[in-house]
Amino acid sequence: MMVVRINTCEMSGRMCMKVVRRFCGTSVGRKYIMALSGAGLAIFLVVHLLGNTSIFFGAQAFNSYAEHMHGLGPLVSVAEVVLLLFFLVHISFGATLFIRNSLARSSRYEVNRSSGGRTPGSRTMFYSGLMVLVLVIFHLFTVHFANHPGPISALIRSEFASLPVSLFYIVGLAAVGLHLSHGLWSIWQSLGVNHPLYDLTLDRGALLGAVVIAGLFMVFPILGLLWDGFLR
Amino acid sequence: MMSSGTINLTLKVWRQDNSRARGALSTYTLRNISTDMSFLEMLDVLNEQLLLTGEEPVAFDHDCREGICGMCGAVVNGQPHGPERETSLCQLHMRHFKSGDTLVIEPFRARAFKVVKDLVVDRSSFDTIIQAGGYVSVNAGGAPDGNALPISQQNAEQAMDAAACIGCGACVAACPNAAAMLFVSGKVSQLALLPQGHPERKERALNMVKTMDDLGFGNCTNERECEAACPKGISIRHIARLNREFLKAAVTGE
Amino acid sequence: MILDAKIPAGNLAEKWERHCFSSKLVNPANKRKYKIIVVGSGLAGASAAATLAELGYNVHCLTIHDSPRRAHSIAAQGGINAAKNYQNDGDSVFRLFYDTIKGGDFRSREANVYRLAQLSNNIIDQCVAQGVPFAREYGGQLANRSFGGAQVSRTFYARGQTGQQLLLGAYSSLSRQVKLGKVTMMPRREMLDLVVEEGRARGIVVRNLISGEIECHGGHAVVLATGGYGNAFYLSTNAMASNVTAAFRAYKRGACFANPCYVQIHPTCIPVHGDYQSKLTLMSESLRNDGRVWVPKKTGDSRPPEQIPESERDYYLEQKYPSFGNLVPRDVASRNAKEQCDQGKGAGETGLAVYLDFTEAIKRDGEATIIRKYGNLFQMYEKITASNPMHTPMMIYPAVHYTMGGLWVDYNLMSNIPGLFVLGEANFSDHGANRLGASALMQGLADGYFVIPSTIGGYLAGCSHDDVDTGTDSFQSTRQEADGSLKKLLGLNGKRTVDDFHKELGKLLWDHCGMARHKDGLEQALARIPEIRGEFWDNAYVSGSGTEFNQTLEKAGRVADFLEFAELMVHDALQRQESCGCHLREESQTKEHEALRDDENYSYVSAWQYQGDAKPLLHKEPLSFENVELTSRSYK
Ligand SMILES: Cc1cc2nc3c(=O)[nH]c(=O)nc-3n(C[C@H](O)[C@H](O)[C@H](O)COP(=O)(O)OP(=O)(O)OC[C@H]3O[C@@H](n4cnc5c(N)ncnc54)[C@H](O)[C@@H]3O)c2cc1C
Ligand code: HEM
Ligand code: HEM
Ligand code: SF4
Ligand code: F3S
Ligand code: FES
Repeated sequence: MMVVRINTCEMSGRMCMKVVRRFCGTSVGRKYIMALSGAGLAIFLVVHLLGNTSIFFGAQAFNSYAEHMHGLGPLVSVAEVVLLLFFLVHISFGATLFIRNSLARSSRYEVNRSSGGRTPGSRTMFYSGLMVLVLVIFHLFTVHFANHPGPISALIRSEFASLPVSLFYIVGLAAVGLHLSHGLWSIWQSLGVNHPLYDLTLDRGALLGAVVIAGLFMVFPILGLLWDGFLR
Repeated sequence: MMSSGTINLTLKVWRQDNSRARGALSTYTLRNISTDMSFLEMLDVLNEQLLLTGEEPVAFDHDCREGICGMCGAVVNGQPHGPERETSLCQLHMRHFKSGDTLVIEPFRARAFKVVKDLVVDRSSFDTIIQAGGYVSVNAGGAPDGNALPISQQNAEQAMDAAACIGCGACVAACPNAAAMLFVSGKVSQLALLPQGHPERKERALNMVKTMDDLGFGNCTNERECEAACPKGISIRHIARLNREFLKAAVTGE
Repeated sequence: MILDAKIPAGNLAEKWERHCFSSKLVNPANKRKYKIIVVGSGLAGASAAATLAELGYNVHCLTIHDSPRRAHSIAAQGGINAAKNYQNDGDSVFRLFYDTIKGGDFRSREANVYRLAQLSNNIIDQCVAQGVPFAREYGGQLANRSFGGAQVSRTFYARGQTGQQLLLGAYSSLSRQVKLGKVTMMPRREMLDLVVEEGRARGIVVRNLISGEIECHGGHAVVLATGGYGNAFYLSTNAMASNVTAAFRAYKRGACFANPCYVQIHPTCIPVHGDYQSKLTLMSESLRNDGRVWVPKKTGDSRPPEQIPESERDYYLEQKYPSFGNLVPRDVASRNAKEQCDQGKGAGETGLAVYLDFTEAIKRDGEATIIRKYGNLFQMYEKITASNPMHTPMMIYPAVHYTMGGLWVDYNLMSNIPGLFVLGEANFSDHGANRLGASALMQGLADGYFVIPSTIGGYLAGCSHDDVDTGTDSFQSTRQEADGSLKKLLGLNGKRTVDDFHKELGKLLWDHCGMARHKDGLEQALARIPEIRGEFWDNAYVSGSGTEFNQTLEKAGRVADFLEFAELMVHDALQRQESCGCHLREESQTKEHEALRDDENYSYVSAWQYQGDAKPLLHKEPLSFENVELTSRSYK
């Protein structure tokens, strides 16, 4: 009885290792990892955006939303760890892919011209990703890890009142949009979802999603700059 | 029809003596090229011209000259098989160029495709990939009646779409990552759509992907260049199917 | 020398089975000790190599191409015949047999053709099992079409890419055996010579096309599946690398070459448009189902076809052959097209084309129907010619397409050199003087999947399985000869390119040894060929060295062989003073200018034996017919 259990344990352990290796060690497996982590990040982004819309209802609403979030306690910490993991996985695999793919072409073409498949988004995935990374790091240090005496609304208000900061955000968010313009379609293709019936919808939907997400985020720094009543 | 206009061209052709040598572009001029010529016939004319002046002709692979053997292929001004959609180099005609054009002609470039000479590359890595599982393990002799296994017309047609690949390698040449996904997906997809392929579908997906990786092809990041360059119009839908096949196999395969 | 076809005795339907039963078998434990060299990896070669490896033999397979998947077989469009009778339209093995032997104008062996018809069904089963995506009906059953004038629907197809899919099927089986270590695949190798030792084929000498190295490969049997020689004509529908070299060098080592003058000319190809033209593209014959063939009535009428009124068009096929009209067989259609053009009524700039007009079919069935039926063919045509057949009549012209002749083989597919087997288009066996559409694929695969695996054992069982030593004198001297002829080619430092000579030869053959032949023309050709050859060795130019990838050298070797082989073709055409199968012998016609076959005097296979510089020796293998009645064709 015992022996059998150990064996099955061992077997399933070995099987697990195999599966992990299949995902981390092959190109298609890594593609799934990229897509899933990308999707996770995209979902976070949407949730974050929805939360941030409380800004439109004034400082009070925004602050109470933030407090409410903090009030969730351990749940937030778990979510943060998961999010961090997603970032780390996405970035490390993204970087690996970038390096491996540069090596796969030993000599460069003298003339480069697209045959018609690439988009501005797909061309720049790594670079737009890097810009997003810079934005996130800056963002975390100025909002998340910052010591701020007053309410969070005051912090955000003072952030976006500064022209360089707002501009920085706007540029970063443009990168987010660019990244997502390819990424939101690419998730489906990577996960194996592609059918003539809805491929066009997914493709246009991704573009639309990217514009909406990045556009809405941009509203905040723009309002912060231009509108005196922002988060007052 | 067959309006025989002629054009003059400047060619910059990649010349490389062998896989170890360094290559470079050489410039040639061609006059009075009939617009009814195919691209390869234009190269024939160049070669005759070179031979008569005692120069080494440009090596390039070709055989059927009707877009089915997959032997021909070069990158013309940055585009594998040139600018026309769903057209292999041998099927590309000079009427698609203008007099005075400069054409830069390079070999397919990828770490997994070594240059043999000039425009000729070694694509044997494709054979290695097929050897890893691009078949149904059936010996001659014991097959059941052809009609014993009905296959829906739709599946047969889709399988044929995937099977139309001519193994030219343009997908690899076009892919910014030099990935061979479109090629691999064609075979995996064909055999996943047909019941004959089912008994081995898991090992097939795992082994072909692994072999492709080991040979030094890049990772697909869904750039869609392969599909745009493919002379047979193989769709990246098949890449999606390959991904699904791989997922199933990776999670449930022995 | 007596050529023994080794046809098994007994009733036609039982010959093959009884033959398999009575052939000697090789002990399974010993099979891997036998090394078999397969040259060529087209349908015939790839299927043979894979199947022999499945049986346990140690197979080495070589091909000119960079991959077995590129062989010329890949280009076959139309389909493959089988006597499945899935359509319940009265087909049977006997009917396929009968149609094939009649199609060959009674110039092939009954027993071979019957076996081919029997095996046709197994081929379809085998290919389906490999995952070949044949066209299907809605209910999931295999679809068929009628092809090449057959009265029954027995042709299986995979869009217009049947050859591709069948070859990829064979290639997949071959790849599996490579992976299993049973086949050693050697791409980019060109066979330069056959090694014969003590009267048996023991190996080959090849050139590694990448490094230029000359290699010797020894084996207990050599299987040639090197395809046809249609490129002797320079312009043909064959792939550029198709050649006669392997077969011709085997001929020079003593193998008989059978029926070299039997060449099929296909009526619907895209016409030549300039002297830079490198090859001809076939348009499917199915076009003749709906297209009407015509030429202007006036000679030299250079108006665009749309401007030529109905009354000034000559629908010559409909006129001459009222019951078959545009659907007359390939040879009749081809010959008549050439005739019209020779009279100066040809269309287009070169005057070497006839119109194939769909106007009436479009009027009758509507644009949509015609596009559905022929859309992809029209596209292909438009890609090449920049003209759309929906608006302007298509232009077509005949082109060399297939060669029925080849190395002589017996019922076991073994040549008269023991140990040398020949499969596919490279042999002469099953098509007589003309090949029916959709039967070459069938023959190649029958040879490879089913015949050779059963017959090679009979030979090998009588051979020792000791390793073949390639260090012997016969290997080394053959190698030196091959090396010597390469050096000779490399020494050519004249003024004309190799292609230039090839073109000249091709034109000569097309004019005098093509569809219609006459003694005078043939004699003229026979006199001219040695002159061209002489000039080739005087004035050709071959660049580069032998120790590198050198396509000019490859080409030169092949053209040098064509220049010799052409003479053999013409000798054969000259001796066959009858019209049969694909070609008209002008001296042998009926009063209505139709081909007149002469069964009394020419019911034989002509097999030629090499005699050095002297004229080759003709052997005749008589053909006897016990199961079919010899009829003559009439399409009036
Ligand atoms: C355009 C076209 C359409 C056709 N359509 C049909 C059709 O619809 N139905 C049908 O039944 N038939 C058709 N045919 C005929 C048919 O395709 C061929 O007869 C058949 O495929 C020949 O197969 P094979 O294996 O004998 O030779 P091939 O396919 O020609 O293979 C020859 C092999 O030998 C190798 N080789 C040659 N010489 C050497 C050498 N010296 N050293 C080493 N290797 C060598 C080559 O590399 C190649 O691998 C068509 C032919 C053409 C041209
Ligand atoms: C909030 C932040 C981010 C989101 C929402 C996001 C989202 C995505 C998505 C959805 C994809 C498509 C995955 C797929 O191919 O299926 C993707 C791909 C990619 N991401 Fe990100 N990403 C983010 C940050 C980053 C960062 C910081 C980098 C770092 C360098 C990065 C680099 C890449 C690269 C290189 C790819 C292409 C790889 C591929 O498509 O396979 N991304 N991203
Ligand atoms: C431009 C508008 C944005 C505003 C107003 C905004 C606001 C905020 C606020 C208020 C917090 C909470 C800080 C805290 O309480 O700890 C936060 C956290 C965070 N934001 Fe943003 N954000 C914006 C855009 C973005 C973008 C574009 C990204 C990602 C690419 C991002 C990623 C994050 C992350 C990762 C956290 C930390 C979450 C956590 O650990 O709880 N934010 N942001
Ligand atoms: S998928 Fe297309 S581009 Fe790639 S090898 Fe096949 S035919 Fe060529
Ligand atoms: S271009 Fe390359 S990235 Fe993927 S979709 Fe095609 S293989
Ligand atoms: S030469 Fe065969 S595909 Fe171009």
